[in-house]
Amino acid sequence: MKEKLAQCRRCILDSRTPGITINPHTGLCQWCEQGPLKTATEEANRILATTRGGGEVDAIFALSGGKDSCYTLYRLKEEYPDLRILAVQFDNGFIADSAVENAQQFCHKTGSTFLSLSLDPLLLQTVFRRAAESINAYPVAARIRASDICNTCIGIVKQKLIELALVHHAPLIVFAFSPGQTTSPFVRLSAVYLRWFRNMFQKELEAMGVKNNDELLIPPELIEAQGKREMIIVHPLLIWDYHKEQVEQAVVTMGWKRPELADKISTNCLLNAFANDNHIRKYGIHPYAFDLAALVREGRLSREEALRNVNMEQSQDLIQYAHEKLSIIRK
Amino acid sequence: MDHIQADLTNYLRSMAFLPKDATLDPKDSLTSAGIIDSIGLIQLIDFIDEKYQIQVPVDWVSPENFDTLEGIERVIKKLLQEKP
Repeated sequence: MKEKLAQCRRCILDSRTPGITINPHTGLCQWCEQGPLKTATEEANRILATTRGGGEVDAIFALSGGKDSCYTLYRLKEEYPDLRILAVQFDNGFIADSAVENAQQFCHKTGSTFLSLSLDPLLLQTVFRRAAESINAYPVAARIRASDICNTCIGIVKQKLIELALVHHAPLIVFAFSPGQTTSPFVRLSAVYLRWFRNMFQKELEAMGVKNNDELLIPPELIEAQGKREMIIVHPLLIWDYHKEQVEQAVVTMGWKRPELADKISTNCLLNAFANDNHIRKYGIHPYAFDLAALVREGRLSREEALRNVNMEQSQDLIQYAHEKLSIIRK
Repeated sequence: MDHIQADLTNYLRSMAFLPKDATLDPKDSLTSAGIIDSIGLIQLIDFIDEKYQIQVPVDWVSPENFDTLEGIERVIKKLLQEKP
């Protein structure tokens, strides 16, 4: 007999998602039953206020050009004006033109240095195609958190930003991740952890059939040269009081432009609609449900808006565009 | 099973890292078995810090210490012993 579908009455998670349990007595999922996320706000603020590098850069910032990262960059410089930021936009081959304009504009506004980071486009297309074709290359918890394609792209971004931090002797690496994408406001990095971190991602790439992957990983010699130098990843959106719906209003006021072609969820990446569609077809999981549920739980997004997002149809034009660019035959 | 390993297994189940009916050998590799990735590892360390009121030193986060239930239990016991 088919089990009845249950949906958390507080957030939007439902019992179709692997590992999600809805308590029949409370009507809540296990995350909502645990209560709000605990954040080491004071320590994270202290890190941002006091950690500075001996070189020319204090922080490597992951700037997609989407609304969250533009907002975070702006607010970071408002709260810590002395922070010297190298803002890096990873060109995955699917960045909307408007996201490039937005990223450059926000760097200009904040006095941050802009860097467009490119890798071999054919290698990236192969990697994304393999991610699309892969099944179970990532652990279940990762598959709930994001699509296989997004997990792969973010994995590359993390490796490359840590590499840049090592090259520039920058002690901070900042990501505009939201509470559903990560739960730790900051992560301290040691050489021993970085070695493991590199190895884990290498194995995930290999599980997708991406064998010659050195270009996508932190060069081992840089990790060995780190020594005892302090490096910390910080996630400011986990420590700031903000509301998702206000972020767009705030960045639009500052001159941020919404891309005309992009889907409603991602405001920077033309691969996202295909990544979502591919993930839903493979696993029956909407890759944004977990993230949106966490935002609802934390009071940063209304439940209605989150439900609207997960029930929204993916852009067929963008799905077709990605199929053609990745040379995948549409079934 | 030792209560620390039971705590860890319950945590992994409750956070959807491990299927409810799955069992875990103390020597199983959490990363090779596809249970945790780098984000899951950090979440697990945050859980350990909070649950046992300890602070895992940054350079102890290695495969030898954190890739198996057995290794993690050893680290927790050591840090609990050193706790003032």
